[in-house]
Amino acid sequence: MDASEENNVKAVRRSKEEKKLLRKQIKASHTLLKHEGIHTTPQLTRSLVVANGGLGNSVSREELSAALKEMGEVESLLMPPHKPYAFVTYRCEESALKAYTHLNGQKLQCGESSVMLYLAYVNSVTYEEEASVPLPEGLVLLEDFVSPEEEALLLAAVDWSSTNEDVTAQKALKHRRVKHYGFEFRYDNNNVDKDKPLPAGIPAECLPVLERCLRNGQINVMPDQLTVNQYESGQGIPPHVDTHSAFEDTILSLSLGAKTVMEFRHPDGRVVAVVLPGRSLLVMKSESRYLWTHGITPRKFDMVPACEQQSPDHVTPEPGTCSNLTLSKRGTRTSFTFRKIRPEPCRCAFPSACDSQGAPSTLSPSTPSPPALPCCHADAARLEEEYVHRVYDAIASHFSSTRHSPWPRVCHFLSSLPPGSVLADVGCGNGKYLGVNSEMIAVGCDRSSALVQICAERGFHAFVSDALNVPLRTASCDACISIAVIHHFSTEERRLAAMRELVRLLKPGGHALIYVWAFEQEYNKQRSKYLKDHNKEHNGKENLTKNTSEDRREPHGKSAIQNSGHLEEGYEPVGKVTDGKLSVHTNRTAFNTQDLLVPWHLKEGKKPGEEESGDGVKRNKRKEKSKKVLTNQTRIDSNPGLSPGFDASMSPGLRLDTDDATHSPGSKPSPSGTTQTSSSHLKSESESHLTAVFHRYYHVFHQGELEQLCSQVGGVKVQSSYHDQGNWCVILEKD
Amino acid sequence: MKLLTHNMLTSHVKGVTKGYPLLIKATEVKVNEVEFNPQFVSRMIPKLEWGALVQAAEELGHRQDLPGELVQDYEKNEDFLKKVHRVLLEVEVIEGCLQCPESGREFPISKGIPNMLLNEDEV
Repeated sequence: MDASEENNVKAVRRSKEEKKLLRKQIKASHTLLKHEGIHTTPQLTRSLVVANGGLGNSVSREELSAALKEMGEVESLLMPPHKPYAFVTYRCEESALKAYTHLNGQKLQCGESSVMLYLAYVNSVTYEEEASVPLPEGLVLLEDFVSPEEEALLLAAVDWSSTNEDVTAQKALKHRRVKHYGFEFRYDNNNVDKDKPLPAGIPAECLPVLERCLRNGQINVMPDQLTVNQYESGQGIPPHVDTHSAFEDTILSLSLGAKTVMEFRHPDGRVVAVVLPGRSLLVMKSESRYLWTHGITPRKFDMVPACEQQSPDHVTPEPGTCSNLTLSKRGTRTSFTFRKIRPEPCRCAFPSACDSQGAPSTLSPSTPSPPALPCCHADAARLEEEYVHRVYDAIASHFSSTRHSPWPRVCHFLSSLPPGSVLADVGCGNGKYLGVNSEMIAVGCDRSSALVQICAERGFHAFVSDALNVPLRTASCDACISIAVIHHFSTEERRLAAMRELVRLLKPGGHALIYVWAFEQEYNKQRSKYLKDHNKEHNGKENLTKNTSEDRREPHGKSAIQNSGHLEEGYEPVGKVTDGKLSVHTNRTAFNTQDLLVPWHLKEGKKPGEEESGDGVKRNKRKEKSKKVLTNQTRIDSNPGLSPGFDASMSPGLRLDTDDATHSPGSKPSPSGTTQTSSSHLKSESESHLTAVFHRYYHVFHQGELEQLCSQVGGVKVQSSYHDQGNWCVILEKD
Repeated sequence: MKLLTHNMLTSHVKGVTKGYPLLIKATEVKVNEVEFNPQFVSRMIPKLEWGALVQAAEELGHRQDLPGELVQDYEKNEDFLKKVHRVLLEVEVIEGCLQCPESGREFPISKGIPNMLLNEDEV
């Protein structure tokens, strides 16, 4: 038989060396099979094991079957799930011999790749069938619920373009697209705003389907809320229970487009995987709606039972389709989930999962809402404790590793000090500047003991203290520096106090250098490195931003272009804080507001993060060829799980890159609970392991704001002021 | 904490007027070897509170023969400079505390680092 045309196995002429290699490989294959308890025999039998031809090798039933059938009548083909082999039994030994002769050591084309098959005779084929698993209580799957025409109509009824920027962001970030009708389901609190119905109700195109459901008795009341989810291959939704208090009992989910596998999980550990074919309706009631979680693992292939449609003529159908599995490549699936808003609290029989009856969120610990700007010292101190101090202590070593290059203009200031000058570096961090000028007597202090520890390790003089109260004598320093410190104080009063303290330390005629992060990241048409690297990074790469805005309603930043070369007298505070709450910034984009939380992705593991922007030294010290990862996975406020921007179950190989900027993102550790959430959800199989996101508070300064603050101090004058790589800077001279 | 640092530190507890110098109570002291730079030491001396340095060295039992008063022409006195260098940069308090001479408040020194943070009520 000419093997080369009709089937997908290519016969290859082999040299002596190749034959030798093949023998070795075959032997190895037999050894492996033995480990699996499969005993091969050199004797001709009707059954063969096909090593490398298994579901575990991503070989589909159809492809393998086609190749095997060429050799003769196949009595049965067994493909145990997840295994790297399959068993074929032919009607007669002759066919088995043919298969062995023609297929052993040959390549099988599977989709875009190929595998080398190794065949051997086996005396018996043993495989335990899994008992068929019942569906969760209350769950009903109705196949062919809509016709192909109806399906097309429904899909056409969704206008994706009319949604807001969220959709674009979702798309760019490769997360499922979501659209709501009737009422908006909010992912920040996993609930519905019942008092604010959306302008668009359930589209008219859905009515025939819903009426059908009413007639059939699947529902008793017309739903008034619709969520459309569109999943591309590789997208999913983490396991969850639809909020009890938001919706009534019955939930209808219509699957359009490609089929998928939805997994139901019971609190006792039982898992049931349910195939949802296209055009099927899933009805969730009672226990399946209230107690079991449901989710779709982000995958590109699902293992599904093989259907009988293509069974060879003489094959006896296997009892129970579970034993015949094949791989099903995912396509785009759109689900229409219809729900009825629940006006009253839920009084179901499943209090353990019921938010009306006191249960916590079914997802990881819910987190408090973002903080508001403080109005008094106590609040400010608390905010700074949470969003500055605890963060730095937690990220200290990682932070330090990204802070190794002193900024040139700061170095210039330091180097121009006369030898023997006493310098205080208030907010010295990892001591970056303490060693710049070896002729000076430098002492540093920082609020973070972890960072001061690093200073000590480097042999610098440093102690732990607050910048508002520095334990150095008045007029004891020839110079002071405060680099990227004052912007961490959350009220103007405290920023002023920090400045006053700095001035207090100075001897008459002494100089202070202050750097704070600028609101205006673009200056004189020059984009700061902080912004520049954003563009560099996303040229040709999948992800637009390394850290998406946690608040999905926050518009993406537009840069504020400032052209003036000279300073303005006053400044106007721009960017009011929405709802009085602090918003989280998207790294490497322009700022929207002055008061914000900036994310930092803590990476534990060998590789240091990037250098901060503004460093004179070459930027990127990362060696990893990383895929820029979907950082919004780390989005943790409230219940992140369900938002389109979050995927809890990550595919392997994904890793969070530390994002760094002038001031790298920071994270908020427990007790707010966020990092626990994110840490527990984020896994990676590469060297950098569990990661977490921290949020650091910043008040970014407007042009002129720093000078204005100085003018309130008294006893000093501004000697010079400038913009340096995304920072506003002043040099003060004490009278 | 080296004595150079100590020489600069003061108690900043609210209301305290005589918070300098802080008393040292050391439970662990180490002596390191630090490269001697006579010029640097020489320049440091005028910036120091000599009395406080001697007192501190005394407290740690490392005064040795450091004079109570600054010698004249110390810039060329390498011997003297070496003594200063040693006391200022080589002696290190690893564990212990600093005490405010007026209020008695103690600031811990741990792993060589003094923690000068005040509580809210002391600010």
